[in-house]
Amino acid sequence: MYEFNYDKANSAADAASKLAASDDGKVLAGGQTLIPTMKQRLAAPEDVIDLASAGLSGIAVDGDIVVIGAMTTHATVASSSDVQSVIPALAELAGNIGDNQVRTRGTIGGSIANNDPAADYPAACMGLGATIITTKRGLSAEEFFTGLFETALDEDEIITAVKFPKVDSANYQKFPNPASRYALAGVFVAKTGSEVRVAVTGAGNDGVFRAHKLEEALAANFSADVVDISPMPEDSMIEDLHASAAYRKNLIGVMTKRAVQAC
Amino acid sequence: MVKISMTVNGKNVEGEVSPRTLLVEFIREHLKLTGTHVGCDTSQCGACVIHVDGDSAKSCTMLAVQADGSNIITIEGLANGEEMHPMQAAFKENHGLQCGFCTPGMVMSAIDLANKNGDLTEELVREGLEGNICRCTGYHNIVKSVLDGANAMKAAE
Amino acid sequence: MSKLIPDITKDKIAGGVYQNKLHDSGHKHVNGQAVYVDDIPEPHGMLHIYMGMSTVAHAKIKSMDLSEMRASEGVACVLTVEDIPGINDYSPVKGDDPIFAEGKVEFIGQPIFAVAADTIDLARAAAKKAVIEYEELPAILTIADAMEKGSYVSDPHVMARGDADGRIATAKHVIKNSVELGGQEQFYLEGMIAMSIPGEDDEVKVYSSTQHPSEVQHNVAKALAVPDHAVTIETRRLGGGFGGKESQPALMASVSALVAKATGRAAKLRLDRDDDMVMTGKRHDFHFEYEVGFNDDGLIEGVSMLHACRAGYSSDLTDAIADRAMFHCDNVYWLPNIKVESYRCKTNTVSNTAFRGFGGPQGVFLIERIIDEIAAKLDKDPLEVRQKNFYGVDDNNVTPYHMTVEDNVIHEIFEELEESSDYQKRRAEIREFNKHSKVLKKGIAMTPVKFGISFTTTFLNQAGALVHIYTDGSVKLNHGGIEMGQGLFTKVAQVVAEEFQIDIERVKITATDTSKVPNTSATAASSGSDMNGMAAQAAARTIKQRLTDFAATQFQASVEDVEWLPNRVRVGSEEIAFTDLVKQAYLNRISLSSTGYYATPKIHYDRENCKGRPFFYFSYGAAVTEVLVDTLTGENKITRVDILHDVGKSLNPTIDLGQVEGAYVQGAGWLTTEELWWDQTGRLRTHAPSTYKIPACSDRAEDMRISLWEKGKNAEETIYRSKAVGEPPLVLGISAFHAISDAIASVTDYEVYPALDAPATAERVLMAVDRTKKAAKS
Repeated sequence: MYEFNYDKANSAADAASKLAASDDGKVLAGGQTLIPTMKQRLAAPEDVIDLASAGLSGIAVDGDIVVIGAMTTHATVASSSDVQSVIPALAELAGNIGDNQVRTRGTIGGSIANNDPAADYPAACMGLGATIITTKRGLSAEEFFTGLFETALDEDEIITAVKFPKVDSANYQKFPNPASRYALAGVFVAKTGSEVRVAVTGAGNDGVFRAHKLEEALAANFSADVVDISPMPEDSMIEDLHASAAYRKNLIGVMTKRAVQAC
Repeated sequence: MVKISMTVNGKNVEGEVSPRTLLVEFIREHLKLTGTHVGCDTSQCGACVIHVDGDSAKSCTMLAVQADGSNIITIEGLANGEEMHPMQAAFKENHGLQCGFCTPGMVMSAIDLANKNGDLTEELVREGLEGNICRCTGYHNIVKSVLDGANAMKAAE
Repeated sequence: MSKLIPDITKDKIAGGVYQNKLHDSGHKHVNGQAVYVDDIPEPHGMLHIYMGMSTVAHAKIKSMDLSEMRASEGVACVLTVEDIPGINDYSPVKGDDPIFAEGKVEFIGQPIFAVAADTIDLARAAAKKAVIEYEELPAILTIADAMEKGSYVSDPHVMARGDADGRIATAKHVIKNSVELGGQEQFYLEGMIAMSIPGEDDEVKVYSSTQHPSEVQHNVAKALAVPDHAVTIETRRLGGGFGGKESQPALMASVSALVAKATGRAAKLRLDRDDDMVMTGKRHDFHFEYEVGFNDDGLIEGVSMLHACRAGYSSDLTDAIADRAMFHCDNVYWLPNIKVESYRCKTNTVSNTAFRGFGGPQGVFLIERIIDEIAAKLDKDPLEVRQKNFYGVDDNNVTPYHMTVEDNVIHEIFEELEESSDYQKRRAEIREFNKHSKVLKKGIAMTPVKFGISFTTTFLNQAGALVHIYTDGSVKLNHGGIEMGQGLFTKVAQVVAEEFQIDIERVKITATDTSKVPNTSATAASSGSDMNGMAAQAAARTIKQRLTDFAATQFQASVEDVEWLPNRVRVGSEEIAFTDLVKQAYLNRISLSSTGYYATPKIHYDRENCKGRPFFYFSYGAAVTEVLVDTLTGENKITRVDILHDVGKSLNPTIDLGQVEGAYVQGAGWLTTEELWWDQTGRLRTHAPSTYKIPACSDRAEDMRISLWEKGKNAEETIYRSKAVGEPPLVLGISAFHAISDAIASVTDYEVYPALDAPATAERVLMAVDRTKKAAKS
């Protein structure tokens, strides 16, 4: 790991101003991705601003909206009775991220800010139509996730919370990479009235994406039988040491069917 | 350099560290508590698991500065004098170890698991130890150890 | 106090042989007090070493500019090939493993220089400043490429008996096919490490995490150009070895010793996990081709095999490993007409090395594959075809290398396990389940192992030990074996306790140390307790004989009247505590210290003619594995394992069972989830546990029923008639592979043989499912 300066932020605004003042700053949330990345010398920020004391942790239910503070850990989301009762699929997703220790420290804000193409939370945000609240604005998931490890966040902008609307039913299915437990393909299916959203993580070359054709087919007939992935272009899928593009594409179909059946 | 202080195994400790010092480095190199091991650099193996404010955590994936003000327990802090923690005794008695390198992290994770699950089942143990790798035992005796240790912890309450 | 005053009234000592004595370091492991090399308090001013590695697979080194690195903060020493006073080689056999690259690099990860600085961060930062220019050369990365170009590290070797080709030509049925078998990373949890402390004159002491201290000693001495006697290697324990620390640690030790002697400061070289996985060797991957002729019963009439393994850029131990694969081409089967050709491919990848089984598992993998495919072709239960081809007990019992199998117990083990595992009933149930289950399919397979015990390089089969009794009756034990978790120290201490009839707590086990027991062999080939147990027994017996003679003289009795009882000796009607006897012996000037030595008898081998008795005896076992396969994703899970394994008369059943369980899981991991993946430039991309899948607790079968074979007793005079246990049970993981294949076959109602390659990752399983479906349609 390279040298860096460490600072604590006592609020989101404080963190944002510290970020703004830094040439090359990074915020530290749970650190479960950032620290390994820095250890591998793949990231070398000059300044690291710790959000632990910024007061961004907590879960609130506001009518049909679940608001999760950016620094809320996966373990907290997984075990929250509020989340379990309003959007059980979200609690379940959080409970299957990484391992016990990752869930204890890793946070929702950290996960989506990093936008790892194989992370689970981006699929939930996209699938549920979440709004990402930052120190500057509110962004829809589609606006927020802009590409591999890329988001719409400005350099001095920090996620403060994520708002998830309640849906009629939802389910997330992932096929984990056996070594890292990241998704080789993960599909979040959500249904509200006649609207169906299908968000796919782990497989797409550009990170998380919505499968619009599947959504249309499922909106017309919400049944696993209509799930047909053959039109999906294979060259839009990740091909790497973990799996071929064809294998990932197949997994999208299987995971979507399972999610639909479980909805 | 940053000044930090924390409680480690019941004692207040202070230190001056570079921000990039990992918690495991602080524990091993500054505090000379070498029972916490490092088996990988990607947060998978779990040899470095300790307890931070009551939760198991991988000390290779935390900066020492993040633990400022925390209450830390390492493998050296479990025994009460000569008397082992029931989980330690269970690993020893069930031969839940071979080369021993993963054992401290395994024991720390197992205690956390037992603390957080009233009734530990085989299935919960299998899933709950996902973050700890053992290359020697094939996990058979480790699962036995954790179940035994959890029962002994309950009995001791 | 119980430890200080032995009980001289009891009937049986604590911790003798055949007892379930727990691991001697168990209490230290659970308390975090067991010391590994990285836990030894660091001497003041110790340097930390980082190794600069090649970033290309094959190239000439055009230029190296290390000036900026030398001037970097905290740097005390930079070493390249120019700075080695002795020989630039750490190889175990052939002299082809340079410590630092000389003029050319031959794989990505090859060490080029070492930089030592006050901290590892400073050393790393300095290493970044090295400027190396390469002139890239064409690289050979795969077995196929090497075979095409005839690139080998040594001459191909052929073992043949009878007329394989002739019998294949006349056989009623013939199968000709090929199969790929992946390698495996050892992933000892404690990575490679050595710490050297410079001594007076030419002396140096190295704490090394090695399975082979003597070889490390020779290599360090060779690099420093000093006599062996100047170098001391000490090793208390390893955090796992699995063969990976047989030849490779000589590199770390040599470099740390070079730095220590160059600077006069202690020096530590600890590889981080990623560097360790890139820089050090793994299990050899193999490409196999085969042609087999057989009759309607599945009896093999002739078989021809081609073994091609990937040695990597140098020989390392490849010849012995590839030979062992050939020695195990028969497993438990009588193959009267056989030919095996073995090619040891030289590639521009890391030099592969020992890994538990040492080629044996690869050899067995092929013949088990062949048998499985024969059964599929004849629509028979593979178990039946296996039994049909078993070696006879009194006839049809000569191996392809002309060694008679004198101790065959596989028939009994197989029958017992078939019964106890309920194999037939479960197999029928599984077939019924598969008829009705569209997506999830079950599979079951039972496979045997016969594993040859002894180093096939005959001279290595020797061991030494050193035993002292102090005047208070406490015993100190040292031997050449390495404790790496397998419980060797406990077992050897049990042997010494048994000899002296004293409680095991009276026996202190000490770190392996080349200055105490010299010229040792690696703790490898499963031979640790066989050889070191015998050597320690010999040492103990020498002292015991002196004490017996002394007691007889002292009590004016005959030697025959001296009886060794727990913690005491009876001479006629008198009893004397062991501690008192020892004290009196000392006062009467009787030596209480002895070395012991053992050389395995009966073995010999003529490699040129492939004839001899390379093994003292064989170990046997069998496993039944049941799996569940998801045919939509290829995901697979081991659901039940039944194992019956022969360890002779077990010195310590608890420890032996632990070995069997761990070995099985490691073997199953090798053939299912553990996949090494190199990219097209020759870079290993699976270099951390985040990308390389080692079995985790959740992968363990829910139902594991593992037993040692109760009737087991070594036919040969081994230490208390026990058998070696380290490697043989790893081979039982093959049953998991065949169970998966069985589940896949159910997709086509067992019409199409899945011809699965290993490892059977989810993706590969899915590919096999798709392939067999297509084949069934056409």
